[in-house]
Amino acid sequence: MPGKRPWKMAAGAAAISLLVAGCGGGDSDDASANSNTIVIGIAEPEHLLPTNATDDSGSQVLSSLFYPLVNFNSQQEPVEVAAESITPDKANRVWTIKLKPGFTFHNGEPVTAQNYIDAWNYGAYGPNAQTGGYFFERIDGYAEMNPLDPDKDGPQKPPTPKTNELSGLEKVNDLTFTVKLSAPFSSFESVLAYSVFHPLPKAAFSAPGVIAEGFEDQIIGNGPFKLKGKWEHDNEVVVEKVSDFKGQVPKIDGITWKIYQDEQTQYADLVSGNVDVQMNIPIEALSKASADLGTRFQMSENSGFDFIGFPTYESEFSKPEVRKAISMAINREEISDQIFLGSRIPAKSFVSPVVRGYRENICGEACEYNPVEAKRLYDKNGGPEEIKITYNVDGGHKAWVDATCNQIKASLGVNCTGSPEPKFSVLQQKARAHEPIGLIRLGWIMDYPLMENYLGPLYSTNGSSNHYGWSNSNFDRLLKQGAQAPTPEAAIKKWQQAEDILVQEMPVIPLRFMQNVYGYSEKVQNVEMDLFKKVDLYEIETIA
Amino acid sequence: MFRYIVRRLLQMILTFFGATFVVFALMFANQDDPIQALVGEKTASDSLRAALTERYHLDEGFLTQYWYYMKGLLTGDLGKSLTGRDISEMLADAWPVTIRLAILAILIAAAIAVTTGVYAGIRRGGLFDNGTLLMTLLLLAMPIVVLAPLAQLVFAMELRWFPATTTKNATLYELLLPALVLATTVIATQLRVTRTSVVENLRADYVRTARAKGLAPRRVTWVHVLRNSLIPVVTLIGVDLGVLMSGAIVTEEVFNIPGVGFNLARGIRTEDGPLVVGFVSVLVIIFLIVNLAVDLLYAALDPRIRYE
Amino acid sequence: MSDPNLITVAEAPDVSGRSRSLAGDAWADLRRNKIFWVSAVLVVVILLMAFLPSLFTSADPGACALSNKHKGPTGSAIFGYDFQGCDVFARTIYGTRASIEVGVLSTLMAGVLGLVFGLSAGYFGGTTDAVLSRLTDIMLGVPFLLGAVVFSGRLSGSEDDGVWAVTLTLGVLTWTSAARVMRSSVIAVKSQDYVAAGRMLGASPGRLMFRHILPNSMASFIVVLTILLGTNIAAEATLSYLGVGLKGDAVSWGLQIAEAQDYARIAAHPLIWPSIFLAATVLAFIMLGDAIRDAFDPKLR
Repeated sequence: MPGKRPWKMAAGAAAISLLVAGCGGGDSDDASANSNTIVIGIAEPEHLLPTNATDDSGSQVLSSLFYPLVNFNSQQEPVEVAAESITPDKANRVWTIKLKPGFTFHNGEPVTAQNYIDAWNYGAYGPNAQTGGYFFERIDGYAEMNPLDPDKDGPQKPPTPKTNELSGLEKVNDLTFTVKLSAPFSSFESVLAYSVFHPLPKAAFSAPGVIAEGFEDQIIGNGPFKLKGKWEHDNEVVVEKVSDFKGQVPKIDGITWKIYQDEQTQYADLVSGNVDVQMNIPIEALSKASADLGTRFQMSENSGFDFIGFPTYESEFSKPEVRKAISMAINREEISDQIFLGSRIPAKSFVSPVVRGYRENICGEACEYNPVEAKRLYDKNGGPEEIKITYNVDGGHKAWVDATCNQIKASLGVNCTGSPEPKFSVLQQKARAHEPIGLIRLGWIMDYPLMENYLGPLYSTNGSSNHYGWSNSNFDRLLKQGAQAPTPEAAIKKWQQAEDILVQEMPVIPLRFMQNVYGYSEKVQNVEMDLFKKVDLYEIETIA
Repeated sequence: MFRYIVRRLLQMILTFFGATFVVFALMFANQDDPIQALVGEKTASDSLRAALTERYHLDEGFLTQYWYYMKGLLTGDLGKSLTGRDISEMLADAWPVTIRLAILAILIAAAIAVTTGVYAGIRRGGLFDNGTLLMTLLLLAMPIVVLAPLAQLVFAMELRWFPATTTKNATLYELLLPALVLATTVIATQLRVTRTSVVENLRADYVRTARAKGLAPRRVTWVHVLRNSLIPVVTLIGVDLGVLMSGAIVTEEVFNIPGVGFNLARGIRTEDGPLVVGFVSVLVIIFLIVNLAVDLLYAALDPRIRYE
Repeated sequence: MSDPNLITVAEAPDVSGRSRSLAGDAWADLRRNKIFWVSAVLVVVILLMAFLPSLFTSADPGACALSNKHKGPTGSAIFGYDFQGCDVFARTIYGTRASIEVGVLSTLMAGVLGLVFGLSAGYFGGTTDAVLSRLTDIMLGVPFLLGAVVFSGRLSGSEDDGVWAVTLTLGVLTWTSAARVMRSSVIAVKSQDYVAAGRMLGASPGRLMFRHILPNSMASFIVVLTILLGTNIAAEATLSYLGVGLKGDAVSWGLQIAEAQDYARIAAHPLIWPSIFLAATVLAFIMLGDAIRDAFDPKLR
């Protein structure tokens, strides 16, 4: 490269002269000193305490530090990992969890049933304000630990819970405990794979129910890697292999979780070889990714689901025909190809293909691009002249919302505008208050691989992410019947019936299923990512 | 002079409280739902909401919240961020790298702006003058949200002259590209102002006198004219600190520097009141000291200005 | 951009007691100045683009089709197409209006505020200076990002395109540098001999302030303002990037630049054209400002 060296020298000279001028600099870290360790890019985790770490980065780091009770096989069925067995009683209400013997925490403490009970009690206790606390809501006693605020946002404070222990948890012996649910649930084992169900050692607590000051920065787990030094906030988390790990042993000796503020920045480092795995390549970089990375640029399915919700409470969108017409006005394939460059898959169902019970193209012709029929249906049923799609700008949605609007404009001959809100919370509040914000951009990533984890939160009347206010009592009933069905198969039947109602009613427009879009350096191989957007740390290896 | 400084220091205390009050009020006005920001796009459960509201006094009125904050501040407790980290610790982590970045950017900007500005001023209307005008305009037309990623793309990813990202412990070489980008946000103004001042001063009586006296032209330019032309430029350097800080928000994100700008951006995004006010408080103090220094510099640069 | 200068000086036609008025002299000067004519014509063209865009293009800036994504120039779309498959030329022409409105109005606002604060602080000194300067300090202490998010986010209604909110936000957040530069110039000018002479001759404070000090303090101030015009047009892009800028189907150079930047590695033309228009606009205003100031500057006679 001509002209390269003089510049570099000039820059270096300037740096040196500044150094001499007394403007001192630090040392750069040498992360790649050990050749069998790798660097994986993440964002700053919000937390590393398992019950508080519900963000992608936090749970990804925890996957190296902890060994989960269960994991999933390729059919998304739960398989025991740290658990020897997990068995329900006949009613699917009391579950007995037996642990594999011989496991220890990184500080040498043996892993016992009590460690799980302590950690779960801490997570479920309302005043501890753990973001993953809601995972414990199926367990008996959760309600007593989370009393409702008598006047919601009003001045009255919620009463202090009478107990800080889940009554549904009972220790049988050092390696066995039982979990009693507040209602039968045949698929409870699938829920247990999430990172909030990790155990905590005695050393985590300074007193019963109180996490020791500074424990989170020097977290101790039961997994194949242990923390090296401290969590260096906004910089890196370094973990190294545990020497005599009893479970499955990874092929690498350590990981530097390098913290990035921006994915485009991380991509720059991936291309320059400063980071070995980037778990999410931003769409702006996609068109160059094949050229930059070749076969080291990969995609695999994950649980993400993009959709648009209708404000069904507004009369102009109350007719299913109008909703179907708008859905048919959208060319999903074109947006997937042109905006997402094939990194997302057109969605024609209401649950993700990664869960058992998914049926391809269940939405039928209502999700097929058909501008002529769309316009006919729309005009016949008196669809509104103006359509607005509200989205949050902090999630990079502008490009596809604008493109979707352009398609709607072209297909239906009505005006369509994308309306940005600065943050998702604003969008959510306005939707909940039934402000006239039009169609709402929404998305979902599952907590556990069950149809119910889509149908419940997204479409049921009290669903935690049903921000658009659709309500159907038949749907709610079928959903509940499914959860209490005797076997997972029977549950799926009921849930599929519930999904059929969505097909008729079209309360949302399914748009796309997401994929993991990742890349890696020439230093590593066997890089695979799972449905939960996590790198498989047991398979990845360095190229000698 | 001494009394002037004492008076200014006293005013500083008032300004400090004024600024923190304004920032606190802005954060309060900007607060939609900080708890939601914590859980991303999932919905915060009622008990999580209740517990965090309680812990951070989120349901209290503005003055009560401000009182809690000030009480903590005066006892040296900056509080905890909404993610539970000590803000004083975060400050200590973030400031050193940003200060190095800002000083480097100011030095680069001032060095380029003053030398180029003086030359452009002397050769007013010439090729060099018009050339620099065009260059500065091109920089002006590029907001930093465009300039920073482009610089990274061209100089780090394509040409590989500089590392694409740096860390908290960045060396000066690693900081050079971000500092250059940051410097461009202020270079245009500094350069134009220097040039204009030089043009003005070249026509001043004292220059004519100096020339008539037979002083060497070079001495007239670089001693007499420059000294008098620096007053507005020095003022700008004080003001530019603010511009640099807002530029730093983007620059730090693009080059992955976990400094003040990054923390501010994160605090604003997650509606983390204590975090933002904590960082701004320190920012304001630095700012006030720099501006006092600038005012004192006037007197040094221009003997006709006297403070009493 | 030189309006304050123009008015104040023009109202004092015979400062130097010459037979011809200063304004008349200035006009005679300007007429012979090539740079003035070039920049004036440019400004007129830009204003025409802003307010009569259909003179320049018959294309609809809102008609976009993904099938045209990033295509190069064609017969009708001479600048090619952007990421959304929109006509870059049509969007650049139609984007002029919002950009010019935001840039000019917010700079005017910053100029007026800066003039009032800076002149009063510099001229009166003492307590007035202390109060005004500390107010300026407080404003400077507010991070731009925070101010932008709060002001623009709160000011804009959900229905309008956000031009007013963005203008007010930029005006409120950018007057401080103009004020500080004004103040320092006034302090410097105040101690000049001719001011002292004027004072000794019994000139009233108003006359001193507006006829002697102000015209002589304008140079740096105007430079800062013309640059502010450029940065404010560009800053609109930053606000849009933060989600508190122009809304709905608004078209502006800032929005174009911010969007195109993400794909600069693949297609540079959607980034380059609006940037050129932005640079040319700022250049025109700076040159015009320079020419007018030179013509009116009494020291240049």
